[in-house]
Amino acid sequence: MADSNEKGSSSLLIIILDTNPVWWGRKKASDEQFSLSHCVDCISVLANSHLMLAHKNKLAVIAAHTDNSVFLYPQYPGKKAEAVKLPDDGQYEVFGQVEGQLRAQLKKLIMQDKEQIDEMYDVPEQPSDSLIAGAMAVALCYAHRLEKECPIGEALSTRLLVIKGSEDCPSQYMNFMNAVFTSQKQNIIIDACILDKDSGLLQQACDITGGMYLKIPQLQGLLQYLMWVFLPDPSTRTKMALPPRAQVDYRAACFCHRNLIDIGYVCSVCLSIYCTFSPICSTCQTTFKILGPQKLKRKKKS
Amino acid sequence: MAAISYRKLVCKDLHSYLRSLPPSVLDKLYHHPATCLAVYRDLPELARHYVMRILFVEQAVAQAVVKQWSITSSEEQLEAAVALMELRVWYEQPLPGGMPGWLLNPIFRKNLSTSLLGGGSPWIGNKNLTPDKYAKDIPFLDKYALERWECVLHFMVGSNEGSDGVNKDITDILLHSKLMRVDDGEPSITAEGFQFLLMDTSSQVWFFLLQYLDTVQTRGMDLVECLSFLFQLSFSTLGKDYSAEDMNENQLRFLQHLREFGLVYQRKRKSHRYYPTRLAINIVSGVSKATAATAKLDTHRPGFIMVETNYRIYAYTDSPLQVALLALFCEMLYRFPNLAVANLTRASVRAAMSRGITAEQILHFLVSHAHPEMMKNTPILPATISDQIKLWELERDRIRFTDGVMYNQFLSQADFELLRNYAKDIDVLVWEMPEKRVIIVTKTGHDDVKKFWKRQRAS
Amino acid sequence: MAAEEDDKGYRWETEYEKTWEELREDESGSLQASVDSILHRAKKRQLLERVTNVRLGMMRHLYLVIDTSSAMSDQDLKPWRLKASTKLLECFVEEYFDQNPISQLGLLFSQNKRAEKITELGGNPRRHISALQELPSRACEGEFSLQNSLDLALQHLRHMPSHASREVLIVMGSLTTCDPGDVRESIKAMSEANIRCSVIGLSAEVRVCKNLCQQTGGSYNVILDEAHFKDLLLSQVTPPPSSASTESSLIKMGFPHHSLASYKDDKEKPSMCMCHLDSQSSQGFSTSGYFCPQCKSKYCELPVECKACSLTLVSAPHLARSYHHLFPPEAYKEILTSDILIDGPICCYACHSEIVDPHVYVCDKCEQKFCLDCDLFTHETLHSCPGCASVRSLQNVQATASVN
Repeated sequence: MADSNEKGSSSLLIIILDTNPVWWGRKKASDEQFSLSHCVDCISVLANSHLMLAHKNKLAVIAAHTDNSVFLYPQYPGKKAEAVKLPDDGQYEVFGQVEGQLRAQLKKLIMQDKEQIDEMYDVPEQPSDSLIAGAMAVALCYAHRLEKECPIGEALSTRLLVIKGSEDCPSQYMNFMNAVFTSQKQNIIIDACILDKDSGLLQQACDITGGMYLKIPQLQGLLQYLMWVFLPDPSTRTKMALPPRAQVDYRAACFCHRNLIDIGYVCSVCLSIYCTFSPICSTCQTTFKILGPQKLKRKKKS
Repeated sequence: MAAISYRKLVCKDLHSYLRSLPPSVLDKLYHHPATCLAVYRDLPELARHYVMRILFVEQAVAQAVVKQWSITSSEEQLEAAVALMELRVWYEQPLPGGMPGWLLNPIFRKNLSTSLLGGGSPWIGNKNLTPDKYAKDIPFLDKYALERWECVLHFMVGSNEGSDGVNKDITDILLHSKLMRVDDGEPSITAEGFQFLLMDTSSQVWFFLLQYLDTVQTRGMDLVECLSFLFQLSFSTLGKDYSAEDMNENQLRFLQHLREFGLVYQRKRKSHRYYPTRLAINIVSGVSKATAATAKLDTHRPGFIMVETNYRIYAYTDSPLQVALLALFCEMLYRFPNLAVANLTRASVRAAMSRGITAEQILHFLVSHAHPEMMKNTPILPATISDQIKLWELERDRIRFTDGVMYNQFLSQADFELLRNYAKDIDVLVWEMPEKRVIIVTKTGHDDVKKFWKRQRAS
Repeated sequence: MAAEEDDKGYRWETEYEKTWEELREDESGSLQASVDSILHRAKKRQLLERVTNVRLGMMRHLYLVIDTSSAMSDQDLKPWRLKASTKLLECFVEEYFDQNPISQLGLLFSQNKRAEKITELGGNPRRHISALQELPSRACEGEFSLQNSLDLALQHLRHMPSHASREVLIVMGSLTTCDPGDVRESIKAMSEANIRCSVIGLSAEVRVCKNLCQQTGGSYNVILDEAHFKDLLLSQVTPPPSSASTESSLIKMGFPHHSLASYKDDKEKPSMCMCHLDSQSSQGFSTSGYFCPQCKSKYCELPVECKACSLTLVSAPHLARSYHHLFPPEAYKEILTSDILIDGPICCYACHSEIVDPHVYVCDKCEQKFCLDCDLFTHETLHSCPGCASVRSLQNVQATASVN
């Protein structure tokens, strides 16, 4: 029995949940009738199933909000652990705790938002994207700490699962890519579970780190997809029949028009990408020399 | 001709223990969510995912479909399916169309999902308590548990230290399990006992409990009740107190026994709250099929042994018990207040082996008690040491005894060859010597060869 | 750095440092905590010293000169100098291409008073690494020649485009150099051609090398031990500030499309990729690969310069890999825990742990608090501040490539 916990390794699952109020509000109002609380139900079942798989498995849940990243689980360490209430039914007490805390923290997050909006006179339009990269950076730091705390002779394998509905946030590109490359370096897999439109960024992240990317075709069956595709840890995935990898578009989009381009011009100073030649780089304000000599050389060659 | 052989102490893991129980007991056991959880965690990895996938499916699922879920070798699939069958987690049931299908045991399904999602009735004694005036912290519980457990071990080796607390129940179990036997009215340790001492603490506790459970029915207690409670204990939180108020007579008796072994802490016999200790928690996963190379650490005691490639062992301990255990297979050199130095020699290891201790057990002991600094090495033990200990064990196996019958004094080389070839063909030849015309055949083959020879001579 | 060292003079001329006085035993009598904190602070200082807001030479052309003279057979590095060096250099090459995805590298070696080329300038790490692996089988013999090495490097680097930074890194075990002419002429030529030369010495400081580095703006270091050697090599991985005279320009690049083997296009026929064209094996013969958008040549990996039309082919993540050099997160401020007025324990924003250290590190922009471990991790590995990344108003808007 080549079991993962026999090799003295444990598995850490970090779930990043997109809690963008605009998207969830719209979803609830649409015909699909898919609410955040339903989603949290599914996630807590996935989380508990992960904990159930082995005694040593660990869990963290982080909410990626419009303007913050918040740990939903585990609890803030500073707070004195209150006498944890035992479940009054047949649930395993640890599972009950996870579920209760997820809900409590999420409620707190939403209430904070509400208070903020109530205080303001004219409410600015809420952004419809979440700061996933921030949550990923926090998750990587958390994983880094747990890895350091891991006793000698034991290994910790970590994976991130991003559950996302809202759109990609283009201004996060750099932070996002930094997080992706860091996880690649730390051997952390990024999985993505997409509830709405395809995300080009997460497609790349999954491809680079070797994770699974799945766009949920039917939101009502979310739990089933989570349990089938995202519950097995990377070492088990090689044994299971899972959906094949999707083709990833690695083409760049130019900074000037956001068009996908095949051939472009790259600033030698700041690596900004342009679709046509321009004399001044709009990012770093460098003036460029006209490509005289180089072009000539190329022509000679070709 | 039989060589003197010792019974090798086999510590059954949870899976093989449960497999030995009758199906009706298993079904009864699955009525408690904690048992389902424990059984689930002990399943092979693939099987655990199978269960998760059909946990919410009420009907039988076609076997062909299940097969398609994984792309691994069919042996591994079979292993998972067999493990599930043996423990009655699922069983075969044909689908309406006649195709073979798997159906998850409804009792197991119900109670596993209860433990996952909630619902059903609460666990035994799950009741919120008022804060304890005499609340105990984790270090205290650890110290308490280890002290209790060492008492048992000290008693076994017969050292006087702290053996005051060992009562009749424990002695009975030790005698029942043949870890000790009564010599001249005094119990003394057996060869199996030495093997027991070399196991890591969690395996020791598990082995001991299995022996205890064997005797449970003779004490008039219910096996299912005890096991369920044990599994529940294994899933409780360290450093938290639980209520003993709603427990019935039998359960309270069981609790008292566990208290004696150090698995739970109770301030007073009549106290209505108890604290599980580290010995009880996660007891189920304490016994995995670990080998010496991948042995898990002994979580109950910090490691203290350093092994050097020159066969020297340094043990940073002041426990006479640990030193005595080392002395089982080492030649002790020096004793200091907090350090003992010993040498592994051929003679000392062979002496241990003649007592029935195996190389595997020695290596396991050294690895599971390795000093944290040693843990940083891969492999943890120097390869020369582990190889040499195994070689010393093989040395003892140089001579194999086989019963046989000798044929000699053949009149001609032709006769000899005829008979030898026949013996070879029917695969009963043990040894031959053409120069002196001697062959030896196995005892079972003797009749055939004799008959053949008579027929030959007759013709 | 070099100028700074000159002011200080030699280390043996300065006052005696009582290094042991910094070490304090903790209650259990261990020095570990004390040593750890000194190490951490040293790392922190290094991060603070890193200059920000300068133009970096992102497109580097680097020649690595390896001394294979008889001095490299010394056994002070185990098993012997050359073997130890090549092992570290392999790691350097990998790291170099990881951090400088659009840069190029070439290898030279010098022995028997001559300098020779091992590999051409190129962007394929594997080719360089396999060449490096073969190097230790060569006998270390003869003398090292600084001038010949410089001349050879100059010969190749001279023609490189003006927007690229040109560099030479010499790993030198010998204490002498055997030159055909005046080495100072070559040094002058290097500095005129704007080639930055750095030297890592394996034995002791040599005057001529120091001169070389000073005049060309490089760094000169002598290793203390193998770990220090590695640190010095890795410090060469980050792109250097570009000198004022390097020009900037727009470089034409291709972003090839990757097509998978399972792509449902019946017309697709398998083809040979350009990188494995010379090899005899059937490797690279398939339908999948990256196709140059200009001439449709196929390659099995990126980045690469198209052999047919000399267009540089990269993918968007490759460019993104080096953004962190350009926009590094700002260093955190160190604050005493006692100066923070919060009831209860302080929690690290990133790793969610309680900070017990007497120091807390605070980001100036997002004002979140971090522990020392997370501070180091974010600046050394992650390269973005978790706090800032979680605040909408602090998003850098520059880089938005590849968002569709």
